Amino acid sequence: MVTTMPEAPSHQPDAPASSSPAPEKDPESIAIENLDFAYGDHRVLHGIDLDIAPRSVTALIGPSGCGKTTLLRCINRMNDLIDGARITRGAIRLGGMDINTPEVDVVDLRRRVGMVFQKSNPFPKSIYDNIAYGLRVAGVTKRGAINEAVEKSLRAAALWDETKDRLEKSALSLSGGQQQRLCIARALAVQPHVILMDEPCSALDPIATARIEELIQQLKRDYTIVIVTHNMQQAGRCSDQTAFFYLGRLIEYATTAKIFSNPSQRQTEDYITGRFG
Amino acid sequence: MSVLTETAGLQAPRAKSAHRKGRALENVIRLFFGGNAFVAVVVLVLITLFLIREGFGFFGGNLQNLRSYRAAGLEYVDIMRTQAEAHAALSRALSEVRVREARKLAEQGRSLEEMNSALAGFDQFATSFSDAGNNLAGLVSDLGDQAIALKERAATGEPADVAALRSNYPAYEQISAATTVEINALLANPPQLSTPEAQRAFDKVKARMRTSLAEFPAEAQRLREWDPGRPVRWYESITSFLLGKEWITASFWQDWYGVIPLLAGSVMVSVVALTLAVPFGVASAVYISEIATRPEQNLIKPYIEFIAAIPSVVLGFFGIAVLGQAIRALSELPILSWVPFFPLSERLNVFTAGALLALMAVPTIFTLSEDALRNVPRAFKEASYALGANRLQTIARVIVPSSLSGIVSAILLGLGRVIGETMVVLLCAGNRIAIPDFTEGLGAFFQPVHTMTGIIAQEMGEVVQGSIHYRALFMVGLVLFFLTLLINLAAQKISARYRMSIG
Amino acid sequence: MEKGGGASPSSILHSPSSRRRGWLLEKTIFWSFRLATYLVLACATYIFLDIGIKGSSVLFTKSPPFVNLEFLSQAPETLYVFDYEGKKMTLGDREFREWKTSHEINDAEVTSVAYSAGGIWPCIVGTALLVIGSMALALFIGVSSAIYLSEYSRNGPAVRLVRTAILNLAGVPSIVFGLFGFGLFVIFFGWNVSLLAGWFTLGLMVLPAIITASEESLRAVPQGLREGSLALGATRWQTIRKNVLPYAMPGILTSSILGIARVAGETAPIMFTAAYATRDTMPWQVSRFSDFFFQGVMALPYHIYVVSSKIPQNDYTARVQYGAAFVFLLLVMLIALGSILLRTRLRARLQW
Repeated sequence: MVTTMPEAPSHQPDAPASSSPAPEKDPESIAIENLDFAYGDHRVLHGIDLDIAPRSVTALIGPSGCGKTTLLRCINRMNDLIDGARITRGAIRLGGMDINTPEVDVVDLRRRVGMVFQKSNPFPKSIYDNIAYGLRVAGVTKRGAINEAVEKSLRAAALWDETKDRLEKSALSLSGGQQQRLCIARALAVQPHVILMDEPCSALDPIATARIEELIQQLKRDYTIVIVTHNMQQAGRCSDQTAFFYLGRLIEYATTAKIFSNPSQRQTEDYITGRFG
Repeated sequence: MSVLTETAGLQAPRAKSAHRKGRALENVIRLFFGGNAFVAVVVLVLITLFLIREGFGFFGGNLQNLRSYRAAGLEYVDIMRTQAEAHAALSRALSEVRVREARKLAEQGRSLEEMNSALAGFDQFATSFSDAGNNLAGLVSDLGDQAIALKERAATGEPADVAALRSNYPAYEQISAATTVEINALLANPPQLSTPEAQRAFDKVKARMRTSLAEFPAEAQRLREWDPGRPVRWYESITSFLLGKEWITASFWQDWYGVIPLLAGSVMVSVVALTLAVPFGVASAVYISEIATRPEQNLIKPYIEFIAAIPSVVLGFFGIAVLGQAIRALSELPILSWVPFFPLSERLNVFTAGALLALMAVPTIFTLSEDALRNVPRAFKEASYALGANRLQTIARVIVPSSLSGIVSAILLGLGRVIGETMVVLLCAGNRIAIPDFTEGLGAFFQPVHTMTGIIAQEMGEVVQGSIHYRALFMVGLVLFFLTLLINLAAQKISARYRMSIG
Repeated sequence: MEKGGGASPSSILHSPSSRRRGWLLEKTIFWSFRLATYLVLACATYIFLDIGIKGSSVLFTKSPPFVNLEFLSQAPETLYVFDYEGKKMTLGDREFREWKTSHEINDAEVTSVAYSAGGIWPCIVGTALLVIGSMALALFIGVSSAIYLSEYSRNGPAVRLVRTAILNLAGVPSIVFGLFGFGLFVIFFGWNVSLLAGWFTLGLMVLPAIITASEESLRAVPQGLREGSLALGATRWQTIRKNVLPYAMPGILTSSILGIARVAGETAPIMFTAAYATRDTMPWQVSRFSDFFFQGVMALPYHIYVVSSKIPQNDYTARVQYGAAFVFLLLVMLIALGSILLRTRLRARLQW
């Protein structure tokens, strides 16, 4: 692979983080501090404190409507798109930097914090153009660099072998599981630090789900992954830490092993064992 | 390895200025689009303001117009004129009776001489009656000239003195008394007509003569009480527009700007159009969405939408060239002679215009109703079928009721389209500025009318800019504007409720 | 007959006569609905056929090139009808003057019929100019407003006001737009009867329809595409340009073609803002470039209005009346047909 830019990507495990100009903290670390969030007058998050460890998988679980997707969408400010939605207190820091201050460019933030949606949403373009999209909008025009990034991302998303012969085919011709992996590859192509996944497997069959989970395990070596899931087994299988939310509050946050074997809160236990939710 | 320049950190200094530029560009783009969206509001406000600006000047001018009407004594003369015109109308009625009698006699095979001799008595009566009105007509004509002269003098700033005009009152009283005597004498000894039909008509005219005579003292009273100094209140300018029954422009005597004849024309044309378009539009919407086979749907739906694209001027031309003629020819068919108002004298009338407008309203009503019907949730239909209802029952009791507000709003929008349509009514409604004669019953729908849209189109090109007439046309436009606005808002309200009831 | 209840519901429900009556009623009503539908179609078809058949005899000829080029390429002229040496002569204005140079004719014996000779070329040109200008204006403002409303705006009171304004603007009668255009552009701005005044009047008239339809097509693009793009670090404008507009374009195109049909078909708004009953010169025959915008033009719909209301209906006028109506109908119908076909095809292709 050819290095086109002098900076070494900071999130490569083999490249030390010191290459970024002034990192106060690990740029992949996410710190959520005492966060309140409301849709209009309706408060949906109450005083969330959560430190997300870099290069690991953090699962957000909880019953529907508990605010976990809202929290996820706060991290790359996708909630900006929703009328009346706003953070009323607290902050989210990415690498020590408050992402909601005016100095932070939301476009730049989103390049750093990729997102995979519940329903796969490939653009109705070719597979190649889907992956290249993020690079092109970021102003990359060199064909060689794009080609390389496309191949790399598709390999990273374990999709290369299936698609290398039909990169010019429409992305909509892929199967559901493949489309979701394409969306992951698309997110990888812009080399984010963090990948947010909002129930990425909810619309997939078990086999496709297994492949995505496998992929998540590979990706966590290089990326910080935050995943929202309704599937307890999935949270148990592929996350390192788990945060349990209930009615807009963070009830418990611990390593996945602890949460699933020995939760300290009664509500967590009830939810995990299926007594409610 | 990175192909991106700014992966290093959120505050990478090199990227910062680029971001700022990017953000500035975003803001410019956003402002640009927002500004354009604002244009729509600006236009609506401009239209409203402009119509109001040009239209409201009308009231001042019209008030002036009404005041000079009274001050110069035109009003005084018009009181007498009503009486003279009533007399003339009775004279015309008499000659109509004569025509009727003559036609019957001709059917009986009488020759011209025989007819004339048979009708000699009646002719004598009619001539005497007509002559009895001559003096009054002469007086009205003389006074009219005086009043006009007064009005012209008043326009130059001189005070109008109507005393000279009123000094003719004794002459009027004299004429009136003489006329009463003459007519009473005539009525005491009326001729007999041979056919019962004509006799009945004649009796009616005689009754009208008596009521007309009984009016004389009241007329005299009004003349005595008439006061040129009685103020014309400001609101009379508005009421004379909104409730005025006459639209007379460019008249040497007095201009009247009453919107009622135009409104009546617009409403009557719309009534005809909707009476035809609603059943057809809704029936075809129900047919296409619920009954028709798929190939039928695929063909008929676009075809009906296609009808909406027919330019209105082409429809109007068709009305002039074909439909009007056809309707008249139809009305002349002997088998239809039992219809009281057939045969038609005018080929361009309310019905001709209404029928064509119906064709324009059908696509609107069809398309929107069909949408509403189609949006009825499948579950409603399935539930109905599952309970053993047949298709007709499901349509009548489930589908149509639950899309009713959508259909109603479709009809309202169709009405909006019909009432605002110009070319068809301009070409096919006959353009006679008069409130139709409703005593003819349904026949009123076969009389020529003028409409609000038509009058603007016809007269706008010829008016003096800034004149009362010009402003009156803007007022008509304003009425039209608010009328359609009201219809639209109602349609929106209704369809909003419908969405709620479905969701 | 479909109500159960009563003492013995089963007997009522299963009585064969009630079912038979229901079936008959259903059939009758369905057939009357079908009849109503087909009657509407028949009426429209009759109009198409009447104008089509009588118009084709003007527009098409039996010999090559099979199209009456003269009718399409000449300006309207007055027709002169007279008897000469026992022959009935019908001559257009120019021919008549030429003919008069070599023949003697008493003017009193000549009947003249306005507009009935020559063709409709200047009207076609004028209509085309009006359509191009007003559509350019309406599309520019309309599509950008729609982009703002659907992509940028938050649902605040200001935006609601804009939406209400647009919805209501769509219902304003075209003659009111004409009145407004006349008052504002022709008189207040002093543009006189001109192309420019016509462009603005027609453009504003069709604007609400374009905005509404464009916004609808933009909204039909799934939200996922926008979110996906934004999440990849695209700016709003990049997202709109690359990932929303291309997919909304077919819808916008369809609506704008329908807008063309509407703009071309309207007469009332141009009657006193842009249209002349007759003009001797073609629009490009102007001395100064700026005069181009401030000249009135002949327009096909207005010409049809003039020839159908200002001159009598007879054998001599039928040619221009039916010819113009047919050409105009054909043009507008082709545009509308194009839009309908386009929509059907695109609907089939773009299914989310």
